[in-house]
Amino acid sequence: MRTPVFLAAAIGLSVAFPRTSASQAGKTTHVSLASETAGREPKTFAPLVGSWVISKEAGKNVLFIDGRVWKRGQPAGGLADKARELYGARNEEFIESIKAFAYFPIAVYKGLDNFENGEISVRFQMIGGTLDRAAGILFDVKPNGDYLTVRYNGTEDNTVLWTFNNGVRKFVNRAPTLVPLELGTWHMLKISVHGTQLKSWLDDQPMHDYTLPHAVSGKIGVWSKTDSMIEFADFTVTPMSK
Amino acid sequence: MIMRTSSLTRLAALFIAAPTLAAAQANKTTKRAAPTKLAAECTWKPTDAWVKRQAEFFDESKHDWTNDSLRTLLLTAAGLTPPLKAPVNLGVWIEGREKPLGPGADSAIALLKQLSRQRGSPWPTRSVAGGAGAHALFLIAQHDSVLLGTIHRFMEAGPVESPAVDVAVWEDRLRVLAGRKQIYGTQFRVDDRGKVVLAPMEDSAHADLRREGAALPPFKLGLCLAGVWKS
Repeated sequence: MRTPVFLAAAIGLSVAFPRTSASQAGKTTHVSLASETAGREPKTFAPLVGSWVISKEAGKNVLFIDGRVWKRGQPAGGLADKARELYGARNEEFIESIKAFAYFPIAVYKGLDNFENGEISVRFQMIGGTLDRAAGILFDVKPNGDYLTVRYNGTEDNTVLWTFNNGVRKFVNRAPTLVPLELGTWHMLKISVHGTQLKSWLDDQPMHDYTLPHAVSGKIGVWSKTDSMIEFADFTVTPMSK
Repeated sequence: MIMRTSSLTRLAALFIAAPTLAAAQANKTTKRAAPTKLAAECTWKPTDAWVKRQAEFFDESKHDWTNDSLRTLLLTAAGLTPPLKAPVNLGVWIEGREKPLGPGADSAIALLKQLSRQRGSPWPTRSVAGGAGAHALFLIAQHDSVLLGTIHRFMEAGPVESPAVDVAVWEDRLRVLAGRKQIYGTQFRVDDRGKVVLAPMEDSAHADLRREGAALPPFKLGLCLAGVWKS
């Protein structure tokens, strides 16, 4: 069993970023990338796995996961250095974990400590990817690196809920409707969580209505897979009381 | 070194060829016309990133595949003689101008169909049949409607095992055959006037990002090789 130590450590890191908490129930946060610098890693999100950069699209900053880097066999940008800083002589084990995890790039939103109930949405545009074109909402991210994700994959035209436990990804539930989406067009993925009830929508079309085995509690962010090239924008979160 | 017509003539034997060459070959049978020269801008260098990536994938110097008999069957059926010289696939597919398969193609297709039906069967990816064997599978699969549907076996195997450039051309072809728009810009057809035209495409604005990821030549070069774009 592979322990996602790097993820746990990174999530536990204190970041100098304004945070909200579950107590701010009902208040919608529209995450702005306007102050970010194009061509650099995002500051609003912690790019834990994968090559995440701020990119310009029609004059607006967007968050871009560039899967071409993974295809060339390079580990996530900067994380190998972080590994050496954090783990010294043990960094080889750390880098091995990164390589395994690089299959599933994730960027964690720094502005919210804990999401339990409410809504999360993000707009995404598929740019490319030979093997996958996957755009997902990451949630229930635990300190040990476990998480849930609802994602759309343009190579399969489907929307699926996945779980990631102890370094192993498992299929949970596939939405019954297949929706082919064109590349280079913007779409909206949204989830709502109320206790153990999870719902999801793709462009306002209902996808999931599923009962989770446990209540959600953890950080949130965006998710992708392998060589996907996806642009994300307008990440919005509305924490709610149950 | 800039590679020009002579290199392309060799590549014509690898099935994915520029239409000007295909036309020249067709003429050979009737008028023995001299090969048509490509425009000067339709060139590439061995140091170009996409050529290097193809060269890396198709490098077989380590002889590290496991199934020689399957590899030989595939290579013979596809009419390939290794070593394959990069670029192996120029990403120019003109519907109706496919090169016929070689001897033993029926046996190879039957075997591949059998393998495709067996869950967990060893699929001829790079570690099984070498890079050339994997490319041969791609070429053979284009001639059979059942095998065309096995692209997922390459996709699931990942970029170390599967030639990204072949997967990209394959996906485009499946899309066009299904009436969808292609996404890499590799599919061409001949119109009523005999002119080669690009099949409908979505999001051409980001085509070069996708093509770079798939080790395809830049979009403009692809169009140039197909005879569609001229400076």
